[in-house]
Amino acid sequence: MTAWLVPLASFVLIVLFGKFMGPHGKGAGYLSVLAIVTSAILSLIALFGVWLPNHELPTPTHHTGEPASAGGDTKTSAGGEHAEHPNNAPPSAYFGNWYSLGEFGKLKLTIGYYIDSLTLGMFCMVGIIASCVHFYALGYMHDELHEPFVDHEVTLTSGEHLHRKGRFYRFFQYLSLFCFSMFGIVISGNLAMVFVFWELVGICSYFLIGFYIERHSASTAANKAFIVNRVGDFGMLIGMMALWSSVGTFAFGDLKNKEGDVVEVGLFSQLRTEENHYHLAPTQEIIAEESRMTGEPASAGGATESPTNKPGQWLLLIAGVGIFCGCVGKSAQFPLHVWLPDAMEGPTPVSALVHSATMVAAGVYLVGRFYPVFTPETLLVIAYIGCITLLIAATIAITATDIKRVLAYSTVSQLGYMMLSLGLGGWVAGMFHLITHAFFKGLLFLCSGSVIHAVHTNDMTQMGGLRKKMPITAYTMLVGCLAIIGAGIPLSNFGLSGYYSKDAIIEQAWSFANANPQHQILKWAPIAGAMITAFYMFRLWYLTFAGKPRDQHRFDHAHESPRVMTTPLIVLAIFAVAIGWPIFHVTDLLEQGRPVGTQATTHGELLTALVIPDEHLSHEPAIKTPAGIAAFCTAAAGLLLATVIYLWRMLNPDELKQSFKPVHAFLWNKWYFDELYHYLFVLPTKGIASIASWFDRGIIDSILHGSAAICRTGSKVVDSLFDQTMVDGTVDTFASGTWNFGLWLRRLQTGSLRQYVMFIVVGTVLLFVMITFAQSYLTPS
Amino acid sequence: MINLPANPMLFANLLTEPVGVAHYVTVGAVLFVCGALCMATKRNALGVLMGIELVLNGANLNFIAFGSPYLRSDAHNLGLDGQLMALFVIVLAAAEAAVALAIALNFYNNHDSIDVDRAAQLRG
Amino acid sequence: MMTLSDPKVYLSLLVFLPALGALVISLLPRLTDDSYKLISLAITIVVFLLTLGFFREGAPIAFEPGVAEMQNMFNLDWIPSFGIQYFMAIDGISFPLVVLTAFLSVLAMGASWPINKHVKAYCILFLLLETGMLGVFLALDFFLFYVFWEVMLLPMYFLIGVWGGPRREYAAIKFFLYTLVGSVLMLIAILMLYFNSDLTRLSAPQLAEAGILQTTEGETAEAALAKWAAGDNTLARKYAEITKETDLAQRKQLHTFNILALQQMGQHTDLFDSEVLWGKSIQWWAFLLLFIGFVIKVPSVPLHTWLPDAHVEAPTPISMILAGVLLKMGGYGILRICYPICPGAGYDLAYFVCFVGVLSMVYGAFAALAQKDFKRMVAYSSVSHMGYVVLGMGVWSAYADTGYVTDYWKMGTNGAMFQMIAHGISSAGMFFMVGVIYDRVHHRNLDQFGGLFAKMPVYSGLAIGIFFAGLGLPGLCGFIGEVFVVFSAFKYSPLLAVVSAGVVILTAGYILWAIQRVYLGAEYKGPHGEALTPMTMRELAIGVPLLAFAIVFGIYPTAMLNYMQPSIDRQVDRLAVWTQEHDARATAVNPRGGEEGQVALKDIF
Repeated sequence: MTAWLVPLASFVLIVLFGKFMGPHGKGAGYLSVLAIVTSAILSLIALFGVWLPNHELPTPTHHTGEPASAGGDTKTSAGGEHAEHPNNAPPSAYFGNWYSLGEFGKLKLTIGYYIDSLTLGMFCMVGIIASCVHFYALGYMHDELHEPFVDHEVTLTSGEHLHRKGRFYRFFQYLSLFCFSMFGIVISGNLAMVFVFWELVGICSYFLIGFYIERHSASTAANKAFIVNRVGDFGMLIGMMALWSSVGTFAFGDLKNKEGDVVEVGLFSQLRTEENHYHLAPTQEIIAEESRMTGEPASAGGATESPTNKPGQWLLLIAGVGIFCGCVGKSAQFPLHVWLPDAMEGPTPVSALVHSATMVAAGVYLVGRFYPVFTPETLLVIAYIGCITLLIAATIAITATDIKRVLAYSTVSQLGYMMLSLGLGGWVAGMFHLITHAFFKGLLFLCSGSVIHAVHTNDMTQMGGLRKKMPITAYTMLVGCLAIIGAGIPLSNFGLSGYYSKDAIIEQAWSFANANPQHQILKWAPIAGAMITAFYMFRLWYLTFAGKPRDQHRFDHAHESPRVMTTPLIVLAIFAVAIGWPIFHVTDLLEQGRPVGTQATTHGELLTALVIPDEHLSHEPAIKTPAGIAAFCTAAAGLLLATVIYLWRMLNPDELKQSFKPVHAFLWNKWYFDELYHYLFVLPTKGIASIASWFDRGIIDSILHGSAAICRTGSKVVDSLFDQTMVDGTVDTFASGTWNFGLWLRRLQTGSLRQYVMFIVVGTVLLFVMITFAQSYLTPS
Repeated sequence: MINLPANPMLFANLLTEPVGVAHYVTVGAVLFVCGALCMATKRNALGVLMGIELVLNGANLNFIAFGSPYLRSDAHNLGLDGQLMALFVIVLAAAEAAVALAIALNFYNNHDSIDVDRAAQLRG
Repeated sequence: MMTLSDPKVYLSLLVFLPALGALVISLLPRLTDDSYKLISLAITIVVFLLTLGFFREGAPIAFEPGVAEMQNMFNLDWIPSFGIQYFMAIDGISFPLVVLTAFLSVLAMGASWPINKHVKAYCILFLLLETGMLGVFLALDFFLFYVFWEVMLLPMYFLIGVWGGPRREYAAIKFFLYTLVGSVLMLIAILMLYFNSDLTRLSAPQLAEAGILQTTEGETAEAALAKWAAGDNTLARKYAEITKETDLAQRKQLHTFNILALQQMGQHTDLFDSEVLWGKSIQWWAFLLLFIGFVIKVPSVPLHTWLPDAHVEAPTPISMILAGVLLKMGGYGILRICYPICPGAGYDLAYFVCFVGVLSMVYGAFAALAQKDFKRMVAYSSVSHMGYVVLGMGVWSAYADTGYVTDYWKMGTNGAMFQMIAHGISSAGMFFMVGVIYDRVHHRNLDQFGGLFAKMPVYSGLAIGIFFAGLGLPGLCGFIGEVFVVFSAFKYSPLLAVVSAGVVILTAGYILWAIQRVYLGAEYKGPHGEALTPMTMRELAIGVPLLAFAIVFGIYPTAMLNYMQPSIDRQVDRLAVWTQEHDARATAVNPRGGEEGQVALKDIF
């Protein structure tokens, strides 16, 4: 699979030689486009030329992944004992390692690959969309070829707009690096490698959001994106650590040697063993690790299992939720969704590729890829997060006036749908929505970019009536809008791509709610979301393309985009319409990649009442019919409401705004998340930071300086007391004593001979006397 | 209590004794004391020199007496060593007299006097 | 034979060539400043080439990857009456550090060109410093180690104190006093260990392991011991004399400074287990003293405040050396000396060590976030990053509950070692990058930069790359070490691991914020804007290799792990064996086992 390396080569080449390629680095763009198109073609060849001939798609009627489970009764109603259900076997996949980052005994961190039909589906999706976006960007970033480039959004202190060199080549350099990293995530053979590329797409996103480095808002948004993602990664690291220290491997697949024997057992195979009918069961290592952490003795072999004590489940929950945290960050789920709308500061092709179609979907992809490790409780968490996200984002999108922000919130909301679906057990539905959404949301963003290119503003209140000026953009965007709201003929098998995927999600939600009556909200939220989606999408379309122009000046200058930009729109529109059609077998392809052991209905271990229903149950007519009708009715209602307000003007939006003022303000300010986070996290962090810094200077250094001062004072005291008085005093006294004695003796030295003689005589006599006395004393008598 | 030496009658019996070492020693001591007094009292340098001669000769007399085989038994005298020492002292006295006279002469030339009290340059 | 193929000559040359160079420079007549710099640069390059000589396969002094034992070992008597030897060797722990030192010395010398004050003295001190640094990593005699440790201290003091910024005297004295306190504590510990050591308690294979015996091919260690003891060697004669006494109670001790022998004693004998103070054993105190001494160098909170001052005041090349090499000595000391010599104390204090590491990480990151001075921020980031090193070394996760599995511990220790090298590259790069703009605009206030990307695109690209290496971005060297350490820490203490994982957020925060304020933005806000010229060739030649290595080690870490992993793994395995034996002893002392066994374990120390 060299497809993912081609963009890397392109990136490296552009980094090194970008400046020298053609006038203003135009060649860099072509090189990059060439690389990504090659990748896309290679992916398609891999899928259609290599994979499909060797792996027969499952027949749509049976909905069974592999022969192993084909005989099993997968359509029994929910509620039976799960142990009786045969579960699906692992999907067929290629797995291997390229090289190792580090090996420590059994532990191995490697760079490898894991290719199954999901990988290939993602590869093709990313390849096609990226190719379209690259083409489109050739036109969109054309301004950057001009010398000097004038940035009208940056005003210098001198009052002029910024003039700078164009950075055409650099844009494509980042874009190539991004594609490489994205392919890397998809092809990754283990969680560590996912994390590596996870961070790399994060950094590409950082560069691309902050592409207009001169704009303060852009660089701040880039920082915000990266840091919020890091918060998610923090959770992901915890999840990874929990798995790593218990299972000791990150590998998705089993490593086989040339004879086909399994040499190293992968993560999924350890958790869902064949003996256990592919049901999730914590391994001995996990149980031991958990008991080590909690300090409770491990129950040997799980013999003393009781309803309150499920060994290993908590650790698995931690691991699962931790990994999911990373996905929350990357896929902009509540509560980490705040970065995505700000990320719209980047150029629009970036928003289309990175922040709607691929990178943000990577979180969903990882949840899908990591599905076998999630316990039902984890899935419930995922479902609720998805549910909250889809509602919050959809409501915010109602009031936003920035065309790209509306789409951004829409993206967040749709990602919430995918998470919800995955959380409810709708694996295929979620992944299917991921793919269809990528196409129509990419399309929508590119259309909005085309509009922005024409009118040089993001603000929808300054648009209107553009349909006449730029018909291709308008109608392709209409297709996108219809696709996202899931337009189709209810109960039939015909509609736009969103119709299939969104209905599948709602069906799954319906099925889940039937099985778990206490979680009804998870059924109504997506249905309500469908209505809101329809409302804000058509609000957007009407405000932009319908009605009368609200800013005549901008309207006059507007024009249809060049062909290099419209062609990708048309291509994507075709995909947006057709990708969901059953004749293309996308769901079957995904079904083939269904992760091991995720088919049968499962029950919660910690929450015993929780039931994750088998996905295929949602295709029962008893569920499909009401769900389909509900979805259609709500979407139609939303569409109708938008039409009433914004097209027919039967209700004045401004009056509505007035009458719902508190609600509007609340939504306009995005539920005050930014402010909340600012006061809750950013300010305390800065506070702690300055405290830490002050602590260094104020406390630790003060202690040091204090001890230095004490030392100095102490030594002064010692110096004056001991040295100067005692030691020096003694020495000085001795010296002066000697001196004085000498002075006194000097007086004897009169110089008079006669006195000397007297001294001699007296001295001699005294000597004699002394000797005599001494003799008489000392000699013992 | 001071413990005095054994014979308290030492000086009383001298005149009655035959001439022995004690007599010589006594004469030597008298000469020595005279010399010393002369040195201490004379302000004239020549007088001082004479005193020195007396002191030296008093000492010589002692050496001679202790070295004489006639005065003391062989076991206790110095023998030739005493006489040798005496000779040595005489030579020394001669040399010393020469030097001292030269100093005195120079002193006189400088000070017009040979008063030793005026020669106090060596005062400390 | 005095040829280069003799390890004696080769290693000595490697260590003392800079010192010789310094001597030559000091004797040279008055030359231009540039020629002094050129001579010094040439010497550092030659030293670097000498270290590259280890890579030459087939050469007699080649360093073989995949070998855990000491290589190129030699020992000569230096002060025989105290058993002090001139004893050097390299293994996987010291080898990468030696190469890093030589490499960074070349780059730092290259970065010294803007220095114009007392150039001759600067070059002399710089070369002396290099000798000290190389010596510390190569010495295996504790006394020799200590000598080199001090040799390195004094030039550093002058380099900061004379060529530094406005508060240089303060910073230099602070650095000096801090380090001196550390080395005094170390000296105490060295003497404690020395006077309790006894060579005669080691078996023949252990003596051979410690480099005291040389076994030839096909000869048992016992035979070699007999031959050696009969030989004409001061140490051997002493050994023979002492071992003549058969009554063990009467026998005198044969003290040694040999680090390898001390390791053997620490792991296989109870020489260091006797109680000295407050119920703690000799090795407990020795470990604590050594650890404090090394941790000052690392530096860890709360003994870190010399670092920001020293870095801010030191000239750019000295900052590079300081961050790139000197900080590593602390980590090296902990790995080479603390743990293997005092395993019991290390086992006891493992949580304390880890806690210090995590505290440094968190605290350093927070402090970095608050800094206004660019260089100070980078300095605090060093504190934070070196916290990973301490944490990685402390994760003693091979104990009874984990079934003595050493894999995670190996991962942590290797990660710590990798982090040291990676930090050597990235922090030296960061300081250099700060120095480049400081040379141009003469200020470091983070709030007064901006827009450098437009003015100096190549520089900004390099700088952002190196800063991302510091941030721990995958594909760059910082990532590998951090991930290894954090993953392995979870096995030891989930709480500490979670906290340390949280540091990634803060790290991203302060580095991205700094990048935004310095490189991004519309225009430059500070003084001397006209001086912002593109990088010169000399600066490129320094910056590019650093980034290149950051990328190479980030993408293919095995390139380095191949060299260091065997030695580290062997050490960890040995300590794990020690733990197992130790636990067995503890249960034997207190057969109640289980919880009580843990208490008994505490009582022993």
